[in-house]
Amino acid sequence: MKFTSHLFIFVTIFSGFWLDSLIAEFNIRTYIAALESLPYLVETSLGFLILCYWIYAIPEKIQSSAAFCYGLLVDLCFGSAIGFNMLFFSGISYVIHVYVFRFRIFSYLQLIIFFAGSSMFYVACKYLIFSPENYSYLLLLCSFLINGLLWLPIYFCMRSLRRSFL
Amino acid sequence: MARTTPTHTPALKYILACLVSMALLFSDVNYQTLSPLRGSVQAVGIYSQLFFATTVSRFLEFTSAYENQRTLTRLNNQLRDELQEIDSKLFLQKQSQLITKDMIDLQDRLQILGDQRDGKVLKIASFGLQDYLCCSRHILHLQNPLQFAILMHQPVAVDKTFIGQTSKTHLNLIEVTLFSDSSHILPVKIDGLHCNARGAGKPRLVRCLASEEFKMSDIQEGSLVLTSGLGGVFPKDVIIGKVLSIYEISNNELRIDIALDGNPLDHNYFGILSGS
Repeated sequence: MKFTSHLFIFVTIFSGFWLDSLIAEFNIRTYIAALESLPYLVETSLGFLILCYWIYAIPEKIQSSAAFCYGLLVDLCFGSAIGFNMLFFSGISYVIHVYVFRFRIFSYLQLIIFFAGSSMFYVACKYLIFSPENYSYLLLLCSFLINGLLWLPIYFCMRSLRRSFL
Repeated sequence: MARTTPTHTPALKYILACLVSMALLFSDVNYQTLSPLRGSVQAVGIYSQLFFATTVSRFLEFTSAYENQRTLTRLNNQLRDELQEIDSKLFLQKQSQLITKDMIDLQDRLQILGDQRDGKVLKIASFGLQDYLCCSRHILHLQNPLQFAILMHQPVAVDKTFIGQTSKTHLNLIEVTLFSDSSHILPVKIDGLHCNARGAGKPRLVRCLASEEFKMSDIQEGSLVLTSGLGGVFPKDVIIGKVLSIYEISNNELRIDIALDGNPLDHNYFGILSGS
């Protein structure tokens, strides 16, 4: 695959993580201002879901090295510990590559459940590694629901982008 | 168990990638080994954001300043146009007042010059400037829109002196022959001595051919030249100019060049004395 295609895919993933950070910032402000008494429940994984889509859509073009590099760049750009996103990107890349043609015959609902579950696992590991004191199953459940709702918009949006530019 | 789809995904590379990632993650989380790199990247990001924000801010300032400048320039042009319009109006008003004043002054002077005669103030219609500056024919035309009854051979005055006389009328135009026209002869008086001053064909210049008696007189350059009134056209004793130079042509003849006071180029309105 051309470098420009990789660049385009990385830009979409980067945009997803950037939106995640914006949403988190907004949530934290709202939480501090108005909802302090409630537990913090909203955690999106747009960047992770976008990466999942690209691997799902063009698995032959995004191999382990690409996932590894995307993870490294995301780690560097967003200030998390180096290796976290690399590990999860490589891992999810392997899983999707193994079952990619099975996913093709899945219904949307099955895809939603799988990718929402994956993102929940991603969020759970993030909290366990970086913020174990804030870890809660309610947060994971909410994250599962929110990311499940986000999957279909991401799927159609990325598909239109793929058909337009790649 | 056979896989349901024919894909080939070699696990080795993924396992290697995961191992490297885990090693990096472990070292970074526990020992902060990669924090300098992460910090540097974050610093670059922050500097980029600051640079971008500064650039955007400067660009916005620049566009704002440019817009302000455009507005000021437009306002300036508008004010300049208004100022020019006001200047033009004032100028025209002033010119109108000056013309009225000139006409009133000229009318007053005509009454002084003309004694009991009527004075008519007329505006110039055309002036043969090319002939006036080069050749012998010096005439101008005055407008007579009200069709005053102007006869031939009436004195024409400007300022405080005469410059010529009417010669013809064409429809509503009156032709004036100036003193400097080479065909015009004006009886003049210089220090009591009389001579006929003929137009020299040059602007504001007439010449007298004087007889021997002038030699004995004390005429000199700068002596006043007055109308003698002998021709019956001009009133007597009106100053028309000064002696410019005196030349001896022969033993008993002098040529006296006279510079005329009245300059037709300086005026737009001329007075005609009528009713003599």
